[in-house]
This record gives sequence, structure tokens and C-alpha cells, in this order.
Amino acid sequence: MSKYDAIIIGGGHNGLVCASYLSKKGYKILILEKNENLGGLVHCASSLKGFSSKILNDLKINLPTLNYKSYVVALHSDQQHTILQENDKNNINFIQSSANEENQKKFSSLINKYKLFASTLSNFMYEVPPRLKSGNSEDTWKLIKMGWKIRKLGKTNMREFLRIVGLNIADELEDNLSDDTLMGLLAHESILGSNLGPRSPGSILSLLYRQAMQNGLFTSEQYDFHQLIPSLEKNCINQGVDIKINASVKKIITTNNQATGVILKNEEKIDAGIIISNADPKTTYFDLLGTEPLDTDFIRRAKNIRTKGNIAKLSITLKDKPIIKNIEKEKMNAKFIYAPGINYIERSFNASKYDKYNENLCFEFHHCANVIAANIYYVPYVKNTTHAKESLIQQSINSLKPFISNLEIENAELLTPNEIEEKYHVTGGHWHHGDLEIDQMLMMRPFYGSAQYATPIKNLYLCSAGTHPGGGITGINGRNAAKKIMGDKK
Amino acid sequence: MNQTNISYKQPLLETPFHAKTQERCYAHDWHRWAGYKVAKQYTSAELEYTAIRNTAGVIDITPMHKYSVQGKDAKKFINKLITRNVDNIQPKQVVYALWCNEDGFVVDDGTIFCFDENNFRICSGERNLNWFEDTAIGFDVIIEDISHSIAALAFQGPLSCKILHMLNAKNIENLKPFCFDQFTINNQEITISRTGFSGDLGYELWCEPLQAHNVWDALFSFNKDYKILAAGLDALEMVRVEAGFIVVNADLIAAEHALRPNRMRTPYELGLAWMVNLDKEFFSGKEALIKQKNKGVEKKLIGLDVQGDKPAVGSVLYNESKNKDIGIVTAAMWSPSLKSNIAMGYVDKEFMKLGSKVLAEIYHPEELEYRKIWAQCKVVKKQFITLERRNAVPALI
Repeated sequence: MSKYDAIIIGGGHNGLVCASYLSKKGYKILILEKNENLGGLVHCASSLKGFSSKILNDLKINLPTLNYKSYVVALHSDQQHTILQENDKNNINFIQSSANEENQKKFSSLINKYKLFASTLSNFMYEVPPRLKSGNSEDTWKLIKMGWKIRKLGKTNMREFLRIVGLNIADELEDNLSDDTLMGLLAHESILGSNLGPRSPGSILSLLYRQAMQNGLFTSEQYDFHQLIPSLEKNCINQGVDIKINASVKKIITTNNQATGVILKNEEKIDAGIIISNADPKTTYFDLLGTEPLDTDFIRRAKNIRTKGNIAKLSITLKDKPIIKNIEKEKMNAKFIYAPGINYIERSFNASKYDKYNENLCFEFHHCANVIAANIYYVPYVKNTTHAKESLIQQSINSLKPFISNLEIENAELLTPNEIEEKYHVTGGHWHHGDLEIDQMLMMRPFYGSAQYATPIKNLYLCSAGTHPGGGITGINGRNAAKKIMGDKK
Repeated sequence: MNQTNISYKQPLLETPFHAKTQERCYAHDWHRWAGYKVAKQYTSAELEYTAIRNTAGVIDITPMHKYSVQGKDAKKFINKLITRNVDNIQPKQVVYALWCNEDGFVVDDGTIFCFDENNFRICSGERNLNWFEDTAIGFDVIIEDISHSIAALAFQGPLSCKILHMLNAKNIENLKPFCFDQFTINNQEITISRTGFSGDLGYELWCEPLQAHNVWDALFSFNKDYKILAAGLDALEMVRVEAGFIVVNADLIAAEHALRPNRMRTPYELGLAWMVNLDKEFFSGKEALIKQKNKGVEKKLIGLDVQGDKPAVGSVLYNESKNKDIGIVTAAMWSPSLKSNIAMGYVDKEFMKLGSKVLAEIYHPEELEYRKIWAQCKVVKKQFITLERRNAVPALI
């Protein structure tokens, strides 16, 4: 008998959540983390929006909440910035804006419309999505229930939902707004993290989905994000989970189409009844498992998941706390966004479309003391070559320069998508382990034949962001995978 | 000739044998095959058929797709690809194989030549490069489309061995079925395999395009006495139906081509269960095929002995009370050798058993009018013709 019931490959937040749920039910778990620190891509995130409170309740973890609402600042090159804040009722307050009242009103009503649709989508988050073509009555019933949830929006809203669900955000914004900054702001929120431009079909769905996962669009930080991983780790250890760091898995061992253990890079062999991979689906199938026991059609679908990352992570240490031109000191607790219009972003997206140099960088950043943490896009993942990193850093700094009056840099570090891939072992350096688009969602996530957290290999499961409901730091993937595994073992 | 630039802007390519085939192609009846033109009939299909069954026929099969599979994992790759097991394959052996998609539906069939552990060649009727390359992801193999760099002739018929023997192909009579070797003919070193599509004694000759004319001429050099003929694809179709061989996209729709999912076929439905080795650790489609084997098939490709002399081309098959259609004919002909009316087709599972009786609804064209015939058919084995000389070693010389 092996010492462990299950091995979890990858100590990211989903792996830790999955381990917590399973160990709570008496499973003996081993977590293998390749890096020195647990948490994986969480270290790349700059805030913790929308980690599932349901999970924290289930696991009885008390994360300190932050009880202030931060601002959202859409930067403008003429220094007439737009500042807004989401109030307690999740409504938008315009603190400062050059947009006229009609635009402001329409902006708010758009957000409210999306909020309604997002709440419909959020119903699906905690469910293992149904299988297609299974002929199983439970799956059919689930599908009917999903349809019913959408129908429950009412006739007008359902029609509107079905109208916009495949639409691009640019069309929708141009129909409703005329203010470039507001349009840019919403377009930014729609495409961030996926390989989409404002004019790409499905960019509205991507926005709705983010809203559904984060429980609001501009919500402030709910939890102290630095506490997440240590708390999850402590919880795991208390429940008897073994955690091994610097333990890189070389291969998942299979016999007769059944996973039976793993081999580490140092050739150590560890057996377990269940293997759960928190690596992204491509890494799991192509590197860890190997294609030998997989059907050609399956390999094709795995190969075709879109996992091209396009966000670079920039961290700048300044001599002093940054001062943003035309922003009062008390409003510095904000997320600053520079995406000044749909056309600007779309032109920036050309860099990803044609794999070329980006002249129109977009970015968002926030600061913590004198460190600025920024997400720069589009910096597409490149194959067989490297980014001209020094000039990319310089270009990013030049883009920030017009807005920060005391930009005296002590240190600047940049992680390109290629480096994110290497450091966190995420194919394409993609935040969400794969674009969140209609064909890579729900029962199609990561792809047909591999959804529902299971794989064609018996006792091999997935729990990463590549599964339903998708990326972001929610922990729901880990929870759903644990539920699925416990259900299967009954 | 190493043309690979097939384009809709230019006429069909000519095979390396074209100068020779066109001399003989009295009918100028060309058939389009994979970007090439090859003779459909030279003079008359029946005459060419008669040559294949009585002397020998030479068929230009150059347009066949050929892929070289090379690398450390070549054998492993083949084993993953096809439904049969090639663990014990030896160099200079050929296997006939099927490959299936994840639902167990046949993607294509073909012959696989083993040069050594790390070097195979796959010949198939349809294009398969994409399928092979996707199957090979993660395997240490290089797959190359070498269709255009190899000229090929099928040389089929009872005199084929004799003529090769007279051409000093050393020890050709002892070449076993589904084996191949290097031989020198007319000073040309070429590869000859004892394979073919006729169900008769026969060989396939593989050479470089530059050798093509030499090889062609050599085969015809004893024609004063032996009267072998160049045969077209129509004659080939006749012999293959008699032999019960299937043609992808004629008797079944290739899984990669079918638009309607219920048109795809598994090996079990094709009556090729013997080609599926479920003991093998893994191959593409294994899970689905295990399921189908346990569940049994709903329809099956069988042979039909049709009453009368009117070929049941495209006929719908009915039960004996004519109130339910139970299948369809995929290939039908009057067999000159058997002197009987034969067909291949699908029937529902109630009629799969040998000896079952079904009715074929034949619309026989008679000078601008159709005569409708209800022909009694008996379900028989697909292999209508079995010739001892086909597998005899030493072969007939």
C-alpha cells in the first residue's frame, strides 16, 4: 500500500485548496511543489479580488479583510484623469470625470446590466459542469438547469444576454458611450488576461465571466492577499498534508491506463492511488503524462487550447512613494489604468496578432509604499526567440513617465510571458491557463474530453485554472476537483 | 520528376510512367487521383480484367500516398497508430493496417512496410500527413510525405512471378506474401513487394521516377508470347471487389471526411475484427473499440450473392417482405470469373449471418428506361474469390 491516497502536483492556491478539502475528509495527501515557495502564479497577482468566501468558510480560514474601498483611476495623457469608486451597494460613483452626465449614467447602467448577467453565470461556478453526449440523466438534468437559470432572467433580459454573449465589447460600447476614456476602461477590464482585443468576438463574455468570478468589477481588495497562501498552507499542515518543496515531477506513472504514482526529477518514485495535477492542461498532458496513452483527437484538442499569454509583469522600486500628477494623496490607494480608448487598445493588440513590437503599451498598476507593480500588455508570448527585455523595460518606464512626477528608479524588474512560463511552469505564461472564451468554458474547459476535472487516464485528475470555472485566484477549481474526486470514489 | 506543386491553376500531374501509359491508352480515359491523372481504361475494362486474372496486368499506382516514418520511436508510433500489433514485425515485412480515431471509426487503411525498427513506410489511399503528425506528437519520429519521389506499379496476375523471374529477379518465386526485398530488373535496382489489390498472385514494384520507363519496358519485354496488358483503375476495381477488399471513401466514409457522424465505420462493422488487437497496451481508438466489441455491431459490411445478372449498383436492400430497408450496396458487379452477380454492402445486424436472405432493389437502365428488379440475395463472405496461387510459395513460374 502506498503511503498517500493522493499526490497533488503543484502547490498553487488550487492545489492547496484541493488538498484542504480532501484531507478534511481523511485523505492522506502529498503536495509536490517544484519551486521553493508555494503559491505559484499568486505571486504574480497584485491583488486578491474574488477569492471564494465560500471556500474560506468551508475550510474555516480567517483571512483578514481590508475594509476600505479603493479607487479606480483611468489615466489620460492630458492629465484629466477619470476617478471612480464602487460603493457598498456595488454601484459606481464618479469622483472625477471629463465624461458628460449621459455617458456616466450609461456607463453605470451597462455595468449593472453586466452584473445581472454575471450573477447568472456565477450560478455555474460551483458546479462540476455536465458532460455532453454522456446519455447520463444527471448530466442532462444539469444542462436543463443551466438553461433554466438563463431563462429565469426573463424574456427581455435573456434575449439581451444571448445577443451580447458572443459579441465584442467595442461594438457594445460604441453603441452606448461616446467617451473614449470610459470605453477604454471597460474594454481594458474585458480583455485583461485573455488573448483578445476589444474587437475580438466574445470579449463581453470574458468581462461577464470576470465579473462573475470576482463578484463585482471594480471591487476593492476583500482579503489581505499576502495572507492567503500562508493560511492555506497552515490549514493543510494542520490537517496532516505533507508538503514537499523543490520537488519537481518528471513523469506521471501509468499502468493499464491508470495513474499509479509519480517520478521526481531526482528519480525518486512515489506511489499514490490518485494523482491530481495542478499544472496547466498542456503541461500535464504533454510533459508530465506524455502523449503515449492519449488518442490522436484528444492530443489535437489539447494542442489547440489557446494559451498565449500577453501580459508582462513589471515591478519598479522608486526612491520615494510615487506621486501621480493631478491625483490627490488620499486617492493614491487606487488601481491606475492606462488604456485610453478602444482603438488604442486594438492597435496595441496588433502586437499579439502579428507578433510584432508594441508601440502602444497599455498597463495597469498600483503601488505599495515605494514599489509600483504593473501589468503591461500586450507583450505577446514568443516562440523560439526572446524579448528585447532592456528596451521593453525602458519603453514601459517611458509610458509611465508622463503620469508619475517623481519617477526616480532604484530598481526595475520585468517578467515577460516567457519568463512567467519558465518560472511558474505555465504554458504560454497565460494567467488563466488558457483563454476564457466560449469554446474554452464550462463543459468545454479545458477542452472536450478533458472537462469535469477528469482525464482519460483513470485516477488522474486536473485541478488547475485550466479547468472550470477558469483562471483568477478563486480557489474554486481546487474545490470542485476535490468534490469530483470524492464523488468518484464513493 | 519530383513535382510537388499540385495546384488548381495547372493541369493534373503526369506520373513518371505517363509517356508509356499514354501510348497504350487508346480510350484516353483518364482518372483523377490525388492530383495525378492515371488511366481509367486503356481499351476496355473487361479486357484488362481478363489480363489480370489470366496473364498479368500492369497498373500505375504512383499517386498512392506514401509516408516515411523514421526515428527511434518509429515502431512505437506505428503501434499507437494502427489497430494491429507490430511488435513482432521483421524487416522486409509488410502489414495491412487500419487506423481509427478516438471513437474507433476508421480514418484510413494502408500497407506498412518495415525497413527496420526505426524506419517504416506507410502507403495509403487518402492523405494522412496531418493525422500522422498529430499522432506522433511526443514521439521521436520524423514523418515525411514521399509520395512524389517514388514511382509505383502494381503487377498482378498468374504470370507476374514468371515474368519477373524471366527478368532475372533473383529468387522472386520464394518471396512470401506480405514481404518485400530489393531486386535487379533490367539493370535497375528496385523494391518489389508481394502485395496487391487483386486477390491474385501479384507484386508491387517501387522505384525511383527516373527508373520508371526502364521498369515499364522490362515488364512488357516478353509480350510476344505472354500478352500482358496495361490495366486501368476500372479493371482494378473489378478485381478488388471479387477479392473482397474495401476502399475507403467508397465502402466507408473516412472518419476525417464524414460530415455525418453516423456514416463513419469501425473495423468491426467492416468485418475486419481480426485486424483489431485489443491486447495491445494502447492505440488510438482502443477504448471505443472495446466498448463496441462488447456491445456488438448494429450493421456490418458483408458480401452478397445476387440473383440474376444485373449488377445491384447502389441498390437499397430490403427484408424479404419488402417493408423495411435494411442496408445498402456499396459495390456491385457481374463477376466474369465466378460467372455470378456479386455485391458488397451493409446490412442490419439481423441479416449479418451468412446465408441470410435479403432483397436488392435494382434499377437496371435499359435504353432510357429503368427496369425495376427485386433480386434475391444471399449473404456470403466478402472474399468471393480465393485463389491458391495468391499465397503459394514458391510462386507459380
